[in-house]
Amino acid sequence: MKTETYTLNLGPQHPSTHGVFRIILELDGETVVKATPVPGYLHRGIEKLAEARTYTQVIPYTDRMDYMAAMLMNWGYVAAVEKLMGIEVPERVEYIRVIVGELSRIASHQIAIGAMGGDIGALTAFTYTFRDREYVIDLLEMVSGSRMTFSYFRIGGVAADLPDEFFPATRKLLNEIPAMCDEYDDLVTGNEIFQARTKQVGIITPEMGINYSLSGPTLRGSGVNYDLRKARPYSIYDRFDFEVPLGTNGDCFDRFRIRIDEIRQSKRIIEQALDQIPEGPIMAKVPKVIKPPAGDAYAEIESSKGVYGAYVVSDGSPKPYRVHFRRPSFINLGYLGELCEGWKLADVIAILASIDIVLGEVDC
Amino acid sequence: MFGQGLLKGLQVTWGRMLSKKQTVEYPDEHIEMFPRFHGRFELDVDKCIACGLCANACPNKVIQIEKEKVDKKQYLTRYMMRIEYCLFCGLCVESCNKDALKFSNVIDMNQYRRSWVRLTLVDRPAPEPTETPEEETSAKAAKDEAAAGSTPGKEG
Repeated sequence: MKTETYTLNLGPQHPSTHGVFRIILELDGETVVKATPVPGYLHRGIEKLAEARTYTQVIPYTDRMDYMAAMLMNWGYVAAVEKLMGIEVPERVEYIRVIVGELSRIASHQIAIGAMGGDIGALTAFTYTFRDREYVIDLLEMVSGSRMTFSYFRIGGVAADLPDEFFPATRKLLNEIPAMCDEYDDLVTGNEIFQARTKQVGIITPEMGINYSLSGPTLRGSGVNYDLRKARPYSIYDRFDFEVPLGTNGDCFDRFRIRIDEIRQSKRIIEQALDQIPEGPIMAKVPKVIKPPAGDAYAEIESSKGVYGAYVVSDGSPKPYRVHFRRPSFINLGYLGELCEGWKLADVIAILASIDIVLGEVDC
Repeated sequence: MFGQGLLKGLQVTWGRMLSKKQTVEYPDEHIEMFPRFHGRFELDVDKCIACGLCANACPNKVIQIEKEKVDKKQYLTRYMMRIEYCLFCGLCVESCNKDALKFSNVIDMNQYRRSWVRLTLVDRPAPEPTETPEEETSAKAAKDEAAAGSTPGKEG
Protein backbone atom coordinates (compact mmCIF):
# COMPACT_ATOMS: atom_id res chain seq x y z
CA MET A 1 0.00 0.00 0.00
CA LYS A 2 1.29 3.40 -0.91
CA THR A 3 0.64 6.26 1.47
CA GLU A 4 1.41 9.93 1.24
CA THR A 5 3.87 11.56 3.59
CA TYR A 6 2.94 14.70 5.44
CA THR A 7 4.91 17.56 6.94
CA LEU A 8 4.93 18.43 10.61
CA ASN A 9 6.44 21.64 11.90
CA LEU A 10 8.01 21.21 15.32
CA GLY A 11 8.86 24.52 16.94
CA PRO A 12 9.99 27.29 17.08
CA GLN A 13 7.84 27.62 20.19
CA HIS A 14 7.69 23.99 21.24
CA PRO A 15 8.92 23.37 24.82
CA SER A 16 10.87 20.26 23.90
CA THR A 17 13.01 22.16 21.41
CA HIS A 18 14.79 23.92 24.31
CA GLY A 19 14.19 27.37 22.93
CA VAL A 20 13.29 28.75 19.57
CA PHE A 21 14.58 25.87 17.48
CA ARG A 22 12.49 24.68 14.59
CA ILE A 23 12.60 21.36 12.85
CA ILE A 24 10.48 20.45 9.85
CA LEU A 25 9.65 16.75 9.87
CA GLU A 26 8.40 14.83 6.88
CA LEU A 27 6.52 11.87 8.31
CA ASP A 28 5.33 8.59 6.90
CA GLY A 29 2.82 7.62 9.55
CA GLU A 30 4.88 8.11 12.68
CA THR A 31 8.23 7.45 11.05
CA VAL A 32 10.47 10.33 10.09
CA VAL A 33 11.41 10.31 6.42
CA LYS A 34 13.25 13.61 6.37
CA ALA A 35 14.12 16.13 9.04
CA THR A 36 15.21 19.68 8.25
CA PRO A 37 16.46 21.73 11.20
CA VAL A 38 15.88 25.49 10.93
CA PRO A 39 18.06 27.41 13.38
CA GLY A 40 18.35 31.18 13.48
CA TYR A 41 15.37 32.44 15.44
CA LEU A 42 17.54 33.65 18.29
CA HIS A 43 20.26 35.19 16.15
CA ARG A 44 21.42 38.45 17.69
CA GLY A 45 24.60 38.97 15.74
CA ILE A 46 26.96 38.72 18.68
CA GLU A 47 29.97 38.35 16.39
CA LYS A 48 29.08 41.56 14.59
CA LEU A 49 28.23 43.39 17.83
CA ALA A 50 31.69 42.50 19.09
CA GLU A 51 33.28 44.53 16.29
CA ALA A 52 31.77 47.72 17.74
CA ARG A 53 32.88 47.00 21.32
CA THR A 54 36.24 47.14 23.02
CA TYR A 55 37.90 43.83 23.89
CA THR A 56 36.66 43.91 27.48
CA GLN A 57 33.15 44.94 26.49
CA VAL A 58 32.72 41.76 24.44
CA ILE A 59 32.82 39.60 27.59
CA PRO A 60 29.20 40.23 28.68
CA TYR A 61 28.04 39.21 25.19
CA THR A 62 29.81 35.86 25.35
CA ASP A 63 27.73 35.13 28.45
CA ARG A 64 24.69 35.23 26.29
CA MET A 65 25.72 32.39 24.03
CA ASP A 66 25.60 29.32 26.23
CA TYR A 67 23.85 30.95 29.16
CA MET A 68 23.71 27.60 30.92
CA ALA A 69 27.48 27.58 31.33
CA ALA A 70 28.38 31.24 30.93
CA MET A 71 31.69 30.95 32.79
CA LEU A 72 33.01 28.61 30.12
CA MET A 73 31.89 30.96 27.35
CA ASN A 74 33.85 33.78 29.02
CA TRP A 75 36.85 31.54 29.27
CA GLY A 76 37.17 30.69 25.59
CA TYR A 77 37.05 34.33 24.56
CA VAL A 78 39.50 35.68 27.14
CA ALA A 79 41.85 32.79 26.38
CA ALA A 80 41.92 33.85 22.73
CA VAL A 81 42.64 37.50 23.55
CA GLU A 82 45.29 36.50 26.05
CA LYS A 83 46.92 34.32 23.42
CA LEU A 84 46.83 37.22 20.99
CA MET A 85 48.49 39.58 23.47
CA GLY A 86 50.85 36.96 24.90
CA ILE A 87 49.61 37.46 28.47
CA GLU A 88 50.81 35.04 31.11
CA VAL A 89 47.90 34.45 33.48
CA PRO A 90 48.78 34.22 37.20
CA GLU A 91 48.63 30.81 38.85
CA ARG A 92 45.78 31.66 41.21
CA VAL A 93 43.66 32.89 38.33
CA GLU A 94 44.06 29.57 36.52
CA TYR A 95 42.81 27.74 39.58
CA ILE A 96 39.88 30.12 40.08
CA ARG A 97 38.97 29.65 36.42
CA VAL A 98 39.06 25.88 36.74
CA ILE A 99 36.90 25.95 39.87
CA VAL A 100 34.21 28.26 38.52
CA GLY A 101 34.38 26.63 35.08
CA GLU A 102 33.76 23.16 36.47
CA LEU A 103 30.96 24.47 38.69
CA SER A 104 29.42 25.93 35.56
CA ARG A 105 29.81 22.58 33.81
CA ILE A 106 28.00 20.86 36.68
CA ALA A 107 25.16 23.38 36.47
CA SER A 108 24.92 22.92 32.70
CA HIS A 109 24.88 19.13 32.89
CA GLN A 110 22.20 19.25 35.56
CA ILE A 111 20.00 21.11 33.11
CA ALA A 112 20.81 18.63 30.36
CA ILE A 113 19.84 15.72 32.59
CA GLY A 114 16.69 17.36 33.90
CA ALA A 115 15.54 18.66 30.53
CA MET A 116 16.03 15.28 28.89
CA GLY A 117 13.95 13.65 31.62
CA GLY A 118 11.33 16.35 31.28
CA ASP A 119 11.14 15.99 27.50
CA ILE A 120 10.63 12.27 27.72
CA GLY A 121 7.91 12.61 30.33
CA ALA A 122 9.81 12.30 33.60
CA LEU A 123 9.11 15.84 34.71
CA THR A 124 10.14 15.01 38.27
CA ALA A 125 13.74 14.76 37.08
CA PHE A 126 13.50 18.34 35.86
CA THR A 127 12.41 19.66 39.26
CA TYR A 128 15.05 17.65 41.10
CA THR A 129 17.99 18.74 38.96
CA PHE A 130 16.85 22.35 38.97
CA ARG A 131 16.60 22.36 42.73
CA ASP A 132 20.17 21.08 43.04
CA ARG A 133 21.37 23.46 40.37
CA GLU A 134 20.28 26.41 42.47
CA TYR A 135 22.89 25.47 45.06
CA VAL A 136 25.63 25.42 42.44
CA ILE A 137 24.43 28.77 41.09
CA ASP A 138 24.46 30.16 44.63
CA LEU A 139 28.21 29.59 44.71
CA LEU A 140 28.72 31.30 41.39
CA GLU A 141 26.55 34.19 42.54
CA MET A 142 28.68 34.52 45.63
CA VAL A 143 31.72 34.91 43.37
CA SER A 144 30.39 37.00 40.51
CA GLY A 145 27.17 38.64 41.70
CA SER A 146 24.98 37.16 38.98
CA ARG A 147 23.09 33.92 38.73
CA MET A 148 23.22 33.35 34.99
CA THR A 149 25.25 35.85 32.98
CA PHE A 150 28.30 36.09 35.18
CA SER A 151 30.75 38.26 33.17
CA TYR A 152 33.33 37.20 35.71
CA PHE A 153 36.40 36.68 33.57
CA ARG A 154 38.61 39.54 32.52
CA ILE A 155 41.39 39.66 30.00
CA GLY A 156 44.41 38.60 32.06
CA GLY A 157 42.50 37.56 35.15
CA VAL A 158 39.15 37.55 36.86
CA ALA A 159 36.94 40.37 38.14
CA ALA A 160 37.36 39.66 41.84
CA ASP A 161 39.01 37.18 44.15
CA LEU A 162 37.05 34.28 45.61
CA PRO A 163 35.33 35.40 48.83
CA ASP A 164 36.33 33.67 52.06
CA GLU A 165 32.94 32.05 52.58
CA PHE A 166 33.22 30.44 49.14
CA PHE A 167 35.62 27.70 50.24
CA PRO A 168 33.57 26.10 53.06
CA ALA A 169 30.37 26.49 51.02
CA THR A 170 31.93 24.76 48.00
CA ARG A 171 33.34 21.91 50.04
CA LYS A 172 29.95 21.41 51.63
CA LEU A 173 28.28 21.24 48.23
CA LEU A 174 30.94 18.91 46.82
CA ASN A 175 30.26 16.49 49.64
CA GLU A 176 26.64 16.38 48.58
CA ILE A 177 27.29 15.85 44.89
CA PRO A 178 27.74 12.03 44.97
CA ALA A 179 24.38 11.72 46.75
CA MET A 180 22.82 14.06 44.18
CA CYS A 181 24.12 11.96 41.30
CA ASP A 182 22.94 8.76 42.96
CA GLU A 183 19.53 10.33 43.32
CA TYR A 184 19.41 11.12 39.59
CA ASP A 185 20.48 7.55 38.87
CA ASP A 186 17.76 6.12 41.08
CA LEU A 187 15.15 8.50 39.79
CA VAL A 188 15.82 8.50 36.04
CA THR A 189 18.70 6.34 34.85
CA GLY A 190 17.36 3.18 36.47
CA ASN A 191 13.80 3.83 35.38
CA GLU A 192 12.70 1.10 32.96
CA ILE A 193 10.38 3.37 31.01
CA PHE A 194 13.17 5.91 30.53
CA GLN A 195 15.50 3.15 29.39
CA ALA A 196 12.93 1.81 26.95
CA ARG A 197 12.64 5.26 25.44
CA THR A 198 16.36 5.94 25.13
CA LYS A 199 18.31 2.68 24.78
CA GLN A 200 19.22 1.79 21.18
CA VAL A 201 17.61 5.02 19.99
CA GLY A 202 19.40 7.59 17.85
CA ILE A 203 22.65 5.70 17.56
CA ILE A 204 25.67 7.75 16.49
CA THR A 205 28.53 5.56 15.31
CA PRO A 206 32.05 6.74 16.24
CA GLU A 207 32.90 7.20 12.54
CA MET A 208 29.89 9.40 11.88
CA GLY A 209 30.54 11.35 15.05
CA ILE A 210 34.05 12.16 13.93
CA ASN A 211 33.01 12.84 10.32
CA TYR A 212 30.43 15.34 11.45
CA SER A 213 32.92 16.97 13.83
CA LEU A 214 30.78 16.33 16.88
CA SER A 215 32.33 16.99 20.26
CA GLY A 216 31.61 16.91 23.94
CA PRO A 217 29.32 14.34 25.57
CA THR A 218 27.56 13.85 22.23
CA LEU A 219 30.75 12.40 20.76
CA ARG A 220 31.97 10.68 23.90
CA GLY A 221 28.66 8.87 24.21
CA SER A 222 29.77 6.94 21.11
CA GLY A 223 32.93 5.85 22.86
CA VAL A 224 35.36 8.26 21.21
CA ASN A 225 37.81 9.36 23.86
CA TYR A 226 38.19 12.99 22.91
CA ASP A 227 38.11 15.52 25.68
CA LEU A 228 40.23 18.63 25.20
CA ARG A 229 41.06 18.65 28.88
CA LYS A 230 42.89 15.35 28.34
CA ALA A 231 43.69 15.36 24.63
CA ARG A 232 45.28 18.82 24.55
CA PRO A 233 45.32 20.10 28.13
CA TYR A 234 44.81 23.85 28.23
CA SER A 235 45.14 26.03 31.31
CA ILE A 236 46.25 23.73 34.14
CA TYR A 237 44.13 20.66 33.43
CA ASP A 238 47.24 18.46 33.16
CA ARG A 239 47.67 18.80 36.92
CA PHE A 240 44.42 17.11 37.85
CA ASP A 241 43.60 13.46 38.13
CA PHE A 242 40.25 12.69 36.52
CA GLU A 243 38.69 10.30 34.06
CA VAL A 244 36.77 10.89 30.87
CA PRO A 245 33.47 8.98 31.02
CA LEU A 246 32.75 7.14 27.78
CA GLY A 247 29.66 5.51 26.36
CA THR A 248 29.60 2.20 24.52
CA ASN A 249 26.57 2.17 22.21
CA GLY A 250 26.33 5.81 21.17
CA ASP A 251 22.60 5.89 21.86
CA CYS A 252 20.57 8.50 23.72
CA PHE A 253 20.93 6.61 26.97
CA ASP A 254 24.75 6.68 26.83
CA ARG A 255 24.81 10.37 26.06
CA PHE A 256 22.54 10.93 29.05
CA ARG A 257 24.46 8.66 31.40
CA ILE A 258 27.91 10.09 30.81
CA ARG A 259 26.70 13.55 31.76
CA ILE A 260 25.96 12.30 35.26
CA ASP A 261 29.41 10.70 35.36
CA GLU A 262 30.96 13.95 34.19
CA ILE A 263 29.41 15.73 37.16
CA ARG A 264 31.19 13.25 39.40
CA GLN A 265 34.48 13.91 37.60
CA SER A 266 34.02 17.68 37.80
CA LYS A 267 33.60 17.28 41.52
CA ARG A 268 36.98 15.52 41.66
CA ILE A 269 38.65 18.30 39.69
CA ILE A 270 37.22 21.04 41.92
CA GLU A 271 38.32 19.19 45.05
CA GLN A 272 41.88 18.96 43.80
CA ALA A 273 41.85 22.59 42.69
CA LEU A 274 40.62 23.74 46.10
CA ASP A 275 43.45 21.80 47.75
CA GLN A 276 46.14 23.15 45.43
CA ILE A 277 45.05 26.76 44.95
CA PRO A 278 47.96 29.12 45.71
CA GLU A 279 47.85 32.70 46.96
CA GLY A 280 48.72 35.43 44.52
CA PRO A 281 47.42 38.21 42.30
CA ILE A 282 44.16 37.83 40.42
CA MET A 283 45.18 39.97 37.48
CA ALA A 284 48.12 39.80 35.14
CA LYS A 285 49.87 43.00 34.16
CA VAL A 286 47.49 44.27 31.52
CA PRO A 287 47.40 47.83 30.14
CA LYS A 288 44.29 49.87 30.89
CA VAL A 289 43.40 50.18 27.23
CA ILE A 290 43.66 46.77 25.64
CA LYS A 291 45.23 47.08 22.21
CA PRO A 292 46.53 43.74 20.99
CA PRO A 293 49.08 43.78 18.18
CA ALA A 294 47.75 43.20 14.69
CA GLY A 295 47.27 39.51 14.09
CA ASP A 296 44.92 36.71 14.96
CA ALA A 297 44.55 34.00 17.57
CA TYR A 298 42.36 30.99 18.09
CA ALA A 299 41.84 29.37 21.47
CA GLU A 300 39.57 26.53 22.35
CA ILE A 301 38.31 25.00 25.54
CA GLU A 302 36.11 22.06 26.42
CA SER A 303 32.74 23.56 27.27
CA SER A 304 29.87 21.55 28.66
CA LYS A 305 28.49 20.98 25.15
CA GLY A 306 31.75 20.28 23.37
CA VAL A 307 34.77 22.08 21.94
CA TYR A 308 34.18 25.80 22.15
CA GLY A 309 36.59 28.00 20.26
CA ALA A 310 37.05 31.72 19.84
CA TYR A 311 38.87 33.30 16.92
CA VAL A 312 39.91 36.92 17.35
CA VAL A 313 41.46 39.11 14.67
CA SER A 314 43.08 42.37 15.65
CA ASP A 315 44.10 45.30 13.49
CA GLY A 316 45.87 47.04 16.34
CA SER A 317 42.93 49.20 17.37
CA PRO A 318 41.13 48.94 20.75
CA LYS A 319 38.25 47.10 19.08
CA PRO A 320 38.43 43.62 17.55
CA TYR A 321 38.45 43.55 13.77
CA ARG A 322 36.63 40.24 13.68
CA VAL A 323 35.48 37.73 16.28
CA HIS A 324 34.23 34.28 15.49
CA PHE A 325 32.98 31.66 17.89
CA ARG A 326 32.99 27.94 17.24
CA ARG A 327 29.85 26.96 19.09
CA PRO A 328 29.66 23.25 19.84
CA SER A 329 25.84 23.09 19.99
CA PHE A 330 25.58 24.44 16.46
CA ILE A 331 28.06 21.98 15.04
CA ASN A 332 26.52 19.05 16.95
CA LEU A 333 23.19 20.01 15.40
CA GLY A 334 24.62 19.48 11.92
CA TYR A 335 24.08 15.76 12.23
CA LEU A 336 20.56 16.00 13.65
CA GLY A 337 18.72 15.90 10.33
CA GLU A 338 20.36 12.68 9.22
CA LEU A 339 20.22 11.19 12.71
CA CYS A 340 16.45 11.56 13.01
CA GLU A 341 15.68 9.75 9.75
CA GLY A 342 14.00 6.42 10.28
CA TRP A 343 13.06 7.04 13.89
CA LYS A 344 9.60 7.63 15.26
CA LEU A 345 8.30 11.09 16.04
CA ALA A 346 8.64 10.60 19.79
CA ASP A 347 12.25 9.50 19.33
CA VAL A 348 13.07 12.82 17.68
CA ILE A 349 12.37 14.51 21.02
CA ALA A 350 14.65 12.08 22.83
CA ILE A 351 17.42 12.52 20.26
CA LEU A 352 17.20 16.31 20.35
CA ALA A 353 17.29 16.30 24.15
CA SER A 354 20.28 13.95 24.22
CA ILE A 355 22.35 16.30 22.04
CA ASP A 356 21.72 19.04 24.62
CA ILE A 357 21.54 22.21 22.60
CA VAL A 358 21.25 25.75 23.87
CA LEU A 359 19.70 28.04 21.35
CA GLY A 360 21.60 31.09 22.50
CA GLU A 361 24.72 29.28 21.42
CA VAL A 362 23.34 27.72 18.23
CA ASP A 363 22.13 31.01 16.81
CA CYS A 364 24.74 33.22 18.50
CA MET B 1 12.74 -7.90 38.08
CA PHE B 2 11.02 -5.47 35.74
CA GLY B 3 9.75 -2.45 37.62
CA GLN B 4 12.51 -2.38 40.21
CA GLY B 5 13.81 0.92 38.85
CA LEU B 6 10.36 2.43 39.04
CA LEU B 7 10.02 1.43 42.69
CA LYS B 8 13.42 2.90 43.45
CA GLY B 9 12.35 6.16 41.85
CA LEU B 10 9.20 6.21 43.94
CA GLN B 11 11.31 5.66 47.02
CA VAL B 12 13.30 8.80 46.15
CA THR B 13 10.25 10.96 45.62
CA TRP B 14 8.52 9.68 48.78
CA GLY B 15 11.64 10.37 50.79
CA ARG B 16 11.84 13.89 49.40
CA MET B 17 8.18 14.54 50.07
CA LEU B 18 8.74 14.14 53.78
CA SER B 19 11.94 16.20 53.89
CA LYS B 20 12.31 19.90 54.65
CA LYS B 21 10.91 22.52 52.29
CA GLN B 22 13.62 24.29 50.29
CA THR B 23 11.78 27.30 48.90
CA VAL B 24 10.47 30.55 50.40
CA GLU B 25 7.20 32.28 49.59
CA TYR B 26 8.76 35.11 47.67
CA PRO B 27 6.85 38.35 48.03
CA ASP B 28 6.36 37.77 51.77
CA GLU B 29 9.73 36.24 52.50
CA HIS B 30 13.07 37.26 51.06
CA ILE B 31 16.32 35.39 51.05
CA GLU B 32 19.42 37.38 51.81
CA MET B 33 21.48 38.36 48.80
CA PHE B 34 25.22 37.90 48.63
CA PRO B 35 27.29 41.08 49.15
CA ARG B 36 28.42 41.05 45.51
CA PHE B 37 24.90 40.70 44.14
CA HIS B 38 24.21 42.73 41.02
CA GLY B 39 21.03 44.54 42.02
CA ARG B 40 19.82 48.06 41.47
CA PHE B 41 22.48 50.75 41.05
CA GLU B 42 23.31 53.33 43.67
CA LEU B 43 25.31 56.50 43.13
CA ASP B 44 27.04 58.38 45.90
CA VAL B 45 26.63 61.91 44.55
CA ASP B 46 29.25 63.45 46.83
CA LYS B 47 31.94 61.07 45.62
CA CYS B 48 31.07 61.34 41.92
CA ILE B 49 33.31 63.69 39.95
CA ALA B 50 31.38 63.31 36.69
CA CYS B 51 34.41 61.91 34.88
CA GLY B 52 32.31 59.68 32.62
CA LEU B 53 34.48 56.57 32.94
CA CYS B 54 31.41 54.47 33.74
CA ALA B 55 29.63 55.68 30.62
CA ASN B 56 32.69 54.77 28.54
CA ALA B 57 33.03 51.34 30.11
CA CYS B 58 29.45 50.39 29.35
CA PRO B 59 29.12 48.00 26.38
CA ASN B 60 25.58 49.15 25.64
CA LYS B 61 25.69 52.93 26.19
CA VAL B 62 23.29 52.63 29.10
CA ILE B 63 24.67 55.53 31.13
CA GLN B 64 23.98 59.11 30.12
CA ILE B 65 25.68 61.89 32.01
CA GLU B 66 25.07 65.63 31.87
CA LYS B 67 27.44 67.99 33.63
CA GLU B 68 28.18 71.68 33.90
CA LYS B 69 31.29 73.57 34.79
CA VAL B 70 30.85 75.52 38.02
CA ASP B 71 33.78 77.36 39.58
CA LYS B 72 36.35 75.42 37.51
CA LYS B 73 34.89 72.10 38.69
CA GLN B 74 32.66 69.66 36.89
CA TYR B 75 29.23 69.53 38.48
CA LEU B 76 27.00 66.52 37.81
CA THR B 77 23.52 67.67 36.91
CA ARG B 78 21.96 64.51 35.56
CA TYR B 79 22.82 60.81 35.75
CA MET B 80 20.43 58.59 33.87
CA MET B 81 20.66 54.86 33.24
CA ARG B 82 18.64 53.19 30.51
CA ILE B 83 18.21 50.08 32.59
CA GLU B 84 16.15 48.36 29.90
CA TYR B 85 19.39 47.95 27.94
CA CYS B 86 21.58 47.11 30.92
CA LEU B 87 23.42 43.78 30.88
CA PHE B 88 24.26 43.97 34.60
CA CYS B 89 27.83 43.00 33.78
CA GLY B 90 29.33 45.36 36.36
CA LEU B 91 31.95 46.94 34.09
CA CYS B 92 30.73 50.44 35.08
CA VAL B 93 31.01 49.73 38.79
CA GLU B 94 34.46 48.27 38.20
CA SER B 95 35.61 51.30 36.23
CA CYS B 96 34.62 53.83 38.93
CA ASN B 97 37.80 55.14 40.51
CA LYS B 98 36.00 57.04 43.27
CA ASP B 99 33.84 54.13 44.40
CA ALA B 100 30.76 56.27 43.78
CA LEU B 101 28.76 53.85 41.65
CA LYS B 102 27.73 50.65 43.41
CA PHE B 103 25.37 47.74 43.18
CA SER B 104 22.76 47.44 45.91
CA ASN B 105 20.98 44.20 46.73
CA VAL B 106 17.57 45.49 45.66
CA ILE B 107 16.06 42.95 43.27
CA ASP B 108 12.61 44.40 42.68
CA MET B 109 13.07 46.51 39.59
CA ASN B 110 9.89 45.49 37.80
CA GLN B 111 7.72 48.26 36.42
CA TYR B 112 4.36 48.35 34.72
CA ARG B 113 5.61 50.43 31.81
CA ARG B 114 8.79 50.34 29.81
CA SER B 115 9.27 54.09 30.18
CA TRP B 116 9.26 53.80 33.97
CA VAL B 117 12.20 51.44 33.96
CA ARG B 118 14.74 54.21 33.35
CA LEU B 119 16.70 54.94 36.45
CA THR B 120 17.51 58.58 37.13
CA LEU B 121 20.06 58.60 39.89
CA VAL B 122 20.71 62.36 39.86
CA ASP B 123 18.65 65.18 38.42
CA ARG B 124 19.45 68.62 39.78
CA PRO B 125 20.23 72.08 38.51
CA ALA B 126 23.76 73.39 38.64
CA PRO B 127 24.41 75.98 41.35
CA GLU B 128 25.15 79.57 40.45
CA PRO B 129 28.86 80.33 40.21
CA THR B 130 29.90 82.34 43.27
CA GLU B 131 32.96 84.24 44.43
CA THR B 132 32.79 82.85 47.99
CA PRO B 133 31.73 79.28 47.53
CA GLU B 134 32.27 78.04 51.12
CA GLU B 135 28.90 78.39 52.81
CA GLU B 136 26.53 78.72 49.91
CA THR B 137 27.56 75.68 47.91
CA SER B 138 27.59 73.39 50.90
CA ALA B 139 24.05 74.46 51.80
CA LYS B 140 23.02 74.04 48.19
CA ALA B 141 24.68 70.63 47.93
CA ALA B 142 22.78 69.41 50.97
CA LYS B 143 19.54 70.66 49.45
CA ASP B 144 20.34 69.06 46.10
CA GLU B 145 21.22 65.82 47.76
CA ALA B 146 17.81 65.72 49.41
CA ALA B 147 16.20 66.36 46.03
CA ALA B 148 18.32 63.66 44.38
CA GLY B 149 17.43 61.21 47.09
CA SER B 150 13.73 61.70 46.42
CA THR B 151 13.95 61.15 42.65
CA PRO B 152 14.62 57.38 42.60
CA GLY B 153 11.65 56.97 44.92
CA LYS B 154 9.41 58.16 42.13
CA GLU B 155 10.71 55.40 39.87
CA GLY B 156 10.23 52.49 42.17
